[in-house]
Amino acid sequence: MGKIIGIDLGTTNSEVAVMEAGKPTIIKSAEGQNYFPSVVAFTKDGEILVGESAKRQAVTNPEGTVHRIKRKMGSGEKVKALGKSYSPEQISAFILQKIKKDAEEFLGEKITEAVITVPAYFNDNQRQATKDAGKIAGLKVKRIINEPTAASLAYGLDKEGEHKIAVYDFGGGTFDITLMEVGEGVFEVLSTNGDTQLGGSDMDQALVDYFAEIFKKQYDFDLRKDPKSLQRLIEASENAKIELSSTMQTDINLPYISVINNEPKHFETKLTRAKFEEIISKFVDKTEKPCKQALKDAKLSPEEIDHIVLVGGTTRIPLVKNKVEEIFGKTPKRDVDPMECVAIGAAIQAGVLSGEIEKDIVLLDVTPLTLSIETLGGVATHLIDRNTTVPTKKSKIFSTAADSQISVEINVLQGERPMAADNKSLGRFHLDGILPAPRGIPQIEVTFDIDVDGILNVNAKDLGTGKEQSIRITGSTKLSDQEINKMKKEAEEHEEDDIKRKEKVEIRNNGDALAHSAQKTLDELKDKFSDEDKEAIQNALKELRSALSGDDVDKIKEKTDSLTQVLQKASTAIYQKAAQQHQQTQGNQQSNSDEEAWSGHPGDDDKTINADYKVNKDEDKKDKKK
Amino acid sequence: MTTKKTTEKKNENTEKNINLKNEIKQLKIALKEKNDKLLRSMADFQNYQKRIEKELTCREQENKKKYLEEIIDLHELLKKVSDDKNPKEGLKLLINNIENFFKKEQIKPINCLGEKFNHNIHYAITTLERNDCEDNTIIEEVKKGYMLNDKILRPSHVIVTKKVEKKKI
Repeated sequence: MGKIIGIDLGTTNSEVAVMEAGKPTIIKSAEGQNYFPSVVAFTKDGEILVGESAKRQAVTNPEGTVHRIKRKMGSGEKVKALGKSYSPEQISAFILQKIKKDAEEFLGEKITEAVITVPAYFNDNQRQATKDAGKIAGLKVKRIINEPTAASLAYGLDKEGEHKIAVYDFGGGTFDITLMEVGEGVFEVLSTNGDTQLGGSDMDQALVDYFAEIFKKQYDFDLRKDPKSLQRLIEASENAKIELSSTMQTDINLPYISVINNEPKHFETKLTRAKFEEIISKFVDKTEKPCKQALKDAKLSPEEIDHIVLVGGTTRIPLVKNKVEEIFGKTPKRDVDPMECVAIGAAIQAGVLSGEIEKDIVLLDVTPLTLSIETLGGVATHLIDRNTTVPTKKSKIFSTAADSQISVEINVLQGERPMAADNKSLGRFHLDGILPAPRGIPQIEVTFDIDVDGILNVNAKDLGTGKEQSIRITGSTKLSDQEINKMKKEAEEHEEDDIKRKEKVEIRNNGDALAHSAQKTLDELKDKFSDEDKEAIQNALKELRSALSGDDVDKIKEKTDSLTQVLQKASTAIYQKAAQQHQQTQGNQQSNSDEEAWSGHPGDDDKTINADYKVNKDEDKKDKKK
Repeated sequence: MTTKKTTEKKNENTEKNINLKNEIKQLKIALKEKNDKLLRSMADFQNYQKRIEKELTCREQENKKKYLEEIIDLHELLKKVSDDKNPKEGLKLLINNIENFFKKEQIKPINCLGEKFNHNIHYAITTLERNDCEDNTIIEEVKKGYMLNDKILRPSHVIVTKKVEKKKI
């Protein structure tokens, strides 16, 4: 079955969203914007333009451009454009067609069905007209829902039992307040009110006027009369408005704003939030009366409202939010983008209708904390990261830490700390019967598998012998929020210390590994090294071992470095010797000398010999470091 | 005869029942497996989404860095220009550098003066009544527009002519 899109068919702009993998996603227009201007134009060349391109040419073609058609929906009134007349349904259909086409392009599939939102105060005629517009556009309108209902759905307010909601919708050109009651997923409109001539664009205009007046006082010149300057002033006002939503003061610098008497003039001023609020307060205050009236009509007191939802870009202004708090005595919800929440709610409704949202199935759990195992030196090596959606399965290959080690212990850990001891141990077990082999050779695959019920199965398998052992841990995902927060907080508090401790362990592990491989190299190549080099290596090795038996990490690091240097020097000598021999004997023994030089490379000998599967292990190492 | 037939039928039925029961059992197991697989692939997808989201923010930061560095350089140089008593030469080079950067990034300015208005690349902010030139022609560029590759980065903001007689109709 095809997807159903959710459309917020607005007066100035329209938005569209769709459910994708259980999440609502805003669909972008072909022009790359999150919204579609609700503008339709008929050009003299017989072209029909919709959205951004219609908006761009609007002033050149006022007779052929139609704005704000939503206001005429259901009125039966026709609009004239370039001599032809159209019904509002037809004009809206052009907008819907453009939305449909761009949504199809975005999703890569055909769209035939939609949920469309309308204001709560729309009557039956207006709703029917909206439905008809969809039909003309080739969309089956599965449902018409109220804009405030959609906004509430975006906040998931249908799931919270019986309560009352106020939806405060302050857009670019209109203001609406709607009081609703929700119970068992059904929304009932109690009252609505508003002001169709009040919006954010009034504020922009007031701001432009304010700036223009300042300039006029300075230079006796009205920037509003010069379209070039006006354009820059409008842009600067919009930016200032946005800036002042998060800062207390903003600078307005418009170099070369105008030329007066052949002299370039600049515009420079500061705008504080306090001044800005003074300029816009009369518009914000105007929303109070409709809210009070709506409360009166619904016979409710402000205290009886449980939730307040903010819709529309203008509600991003702090003063507006404060006003809402003042009217209703409660902090409004605002974590969903107020410009997008109606379309998102429509998409959620569409998802319910198409069966995409089946509440129980889609909600998969996540692991609240990282799951790891203890490795060499007491380090916690991650298998499954925090916030991974379950069910999931992850495997990593580990090896032994000592020569002829025949058993490994798997200690299963939970928590964010890098050292095993600081995390919670969920359980431990042994895998025995590993064949005696040099350290790093056996391959033990450890698999963590969390099923849908949050039960963790840990399995360890010796890939050489096929022997395996496992453990079942229940409740690894069922931690109380308190417990999770405590563990996260601990991890944050100890972050610095933990990193240092882990570094220390890593230095020790590196020293240990080098000592091991140096001994091995020494045994294998004792005939190749000069006595002098051999002695140097033995001495350095001895010093490193004695450092390793102590606790001084800096000393271990120092001795590790010096052994590395000695080894490098010695192996260089071997290569040089081999090269000389090679030159002397020429052709015949070539392959022989090559081979010796190859295995005589001390630092990396492990890796080159066992290249085949060590690669795997190296990748693991990288993982661990992340 | 009849009793024999019924027993036979009964036997047949029991056999059928056992077969059906086995089939149900097998189907139940198969369904459980399928269900588990479905949930796992859904979880995989969600984990993949999380990873992609992380990667996207990372890449966004990288991209941002690239352009911010250019702006920082520009700022440093402009500060020098403002201290320069004779900044013309320096400014010329600076503008050259910016234009070269645009070229490298495939950003091209849109030429529009004197052209016919095109809603695909121009944004008309107002019209001016004229009777000495063609209708719908750009007579002033308020803000330069740019193309990025073949897509519009931002349209030219322009002023367009309007023939006087036309308005009267």
